[in-house]
Amino acid sequence: MTAGTKMTVRDVSVWYGAKPALSNVSLDIEREEVIALIGPSGCGKSTLLRTLNRLNDSVAGARVQGLVTLDGEDVYAPATDPVALRARVGMVFQAPNPFPKTIRENVAYGLRIHGLARGRADLDAQVERALTRAGLWAEVRDRLGDPALSLSGGQQQRLCIARALAVEPEVILMDEPCSALDPIGTARIEELIGDLRGRYAICIVTHNMQQAARVSQRTAFFDAGRLIEYGATSELFTNPRETRTRDYITGRYG
Amino acid sequence: MRRHARRRRAAEHRFRLLGRAAVAVSIGCLLFLLGSMLVAGIGGIDGHFLRGTDATEATRAGIGAALRGSLMVLGLTLALALPVGVLAALYLEELAPRSAWATLIEGSINNLAAVPSIIFGLLGLLLFLGTMGLPRSAPLVGGLTLALMTMPVIVIAGRSAIRAVPGSIREAALAVGASRVQVTFHHVLPRAWPGILTGAIIGGSRALGETAPLLLIGMRAFIPAAPTGMTEPATVLPVQIFLWSDQIDRGFAEKTSAAIVVLLVLLFAMNGVAAWLRHRGEVRR
Ligand SMILES: Nc1ncnc2c1ncn2[C@@H]1O[C@H](COP(=O)(O)OP(=O)(O)OP(=O)(O)O)[C@@H](O)[C@H]1O
Ligand SMILES: [Mg+2]
Repeated sequence: MTAGTKMTVRDVSVWYGAKPALSNVSLDIEREEVIALIGPSGCGKSTLLRTLNRLNDSVAGARVQGLVTLDGEDVYAPATDPVALRARVGMVFQAPNPFPKTIRENVAYGLRIHGLARGRADLDAQVERALTRAGLWAEVRDRLGDPALSLSGGQQQRLCIARALAVEPEVILMDEPCSALDPIGTARIEELIGDLRGRYAICIVTHNMQQAARVSQRTAFFDAGRLIEYGATSELFTNPRETRTRDYITGRYG
Repeated sequence: MRRHARRRRAAEHRFRLLGRAAVAVSIGCLLFLLGSMLVAGIGGIDGHFLRGTDATEATRAGIGAALRGSLMVLGLTLALALPVGVLAALYLEELAPRSAWATLIEGSINNLAAVPSIIFGLLGLLLFLGTMGLPRSAPLVGGLTLALMTMPVIVIAGRSAIRAVPGSIREAALAVGASRVQVTFHHVLPRAWPGILTGAIIGGSRALGETAPLLLIGMRAFIPAAPTGMTEPATVLPVQIFLWSDQIDRGFAEKTSAAIVVLLVLLFAMNGVAAWLRHRGEVRR
């Protein structure tokens, strides 16, 4: 493990029932980098994210083998509390999924359950900070008490990012965070990822090659549950080692 | 192509007619019942009737005591069945590990909901009067017995309301580090609550109309006074109707119909509240 490594994945395989979804995947998530996961639909990108924060624990029949570490500690060790893990490894989902509560409550919820706020004023300040970081504050400052579901899709997605940022995680997993957004919303989120880089280790799944090239320093290409190629983004997009990678990134896949 | 469209329209038309006929039959029966009871009983509904107690003379008899008994029994039924039913439903849906045991318990609860009410009366007789020695004919025992009967109904309605809560909300909460119990009580329960309440009201209105199990636990005596406590002998509306219907020839015909009108109005009101809650729950999502 190098000094800059936040999470490591070693020989990880995941099954849903008898069906393998990931086979022998190994990669590192660096502290100050954005890593992009790309690959055709169904290749196991979401599965890898959900393995990193143990969200698949609650999926009946899902089974994980191999080693996942966070700061060198085994994420799947019996002594690891998955609830505490998820407070350190935040997640933004493919479809915006705000709680059907107020905008404010969406961001405050994580702070509340982890006891991270000292009193009302502190809570408000932290809610504002998270919303500001997610680039949503200006749009919602006057309507914090409105239902989150009254926001547009793109605003909802940024609210979900604010919700994840509020509890100050160390790693942020983003599963196609722009798939429901227009180009403006997408540009906003990409900009946001740029701002967040360095403060959080970020792992983003995307179907958009340009996006992967724009926001990430490292890229991992998956196909059919296997990690085909993994390396510096600039290298992988200009000079892929594998023909399958080249076919995929040039759109000749299939 | 045209022939196909014509045939489709004809089929649609036939289905519409059939559907209207089905609706007409059920509404017709209800209207007939309500109409005939209103005609026969509306003259008997006055302040004295609504406040009075049972009496040997039809002219002096009222349903005040029975109403009070019904409210006490229903109150206890819901006070017991709602929390237990909701907790059971939440546990089974959200927290119980999938196992052979869980499947067995689920099956038993589904079966319990289908058990005829008189069997619950028998259970109440054996358990509460026999083993525990509680007083006969008391709202306490009536409420306990009907709670046993209502609980599985609430569990089943509650579980389907809980299952209708989108998984994405659960995952959102898990992902910010909520525990399963926090997910359940902070997110799933509030969202499922209108549906759970609807189930509880439907179960409660069934309990309100129940006669057989209460007869078995001794609620069949002539009670000339309103109950003042949970252990006093009491009667309830449907039992009162049952008792009076036996004395039609002694002038209780009008009283019977009048009591039926009151019971029906109560049941309709409860179902109306349930429908309103359901509607509100749907509009909000
Ligand atoms: N809960 C589940 N139960 C059973 N199989 C699943 C489950 N989730 C995913 N799978 C299967 O695992 C494989 C990988 O799925 P995954 O969602 O990780 O793909 P993905 O790379 O994220 O695809 P996409 O780009 O379409 O989101 C697929 O074959 C999928 O059918
Ligand atoms: Mg996916």
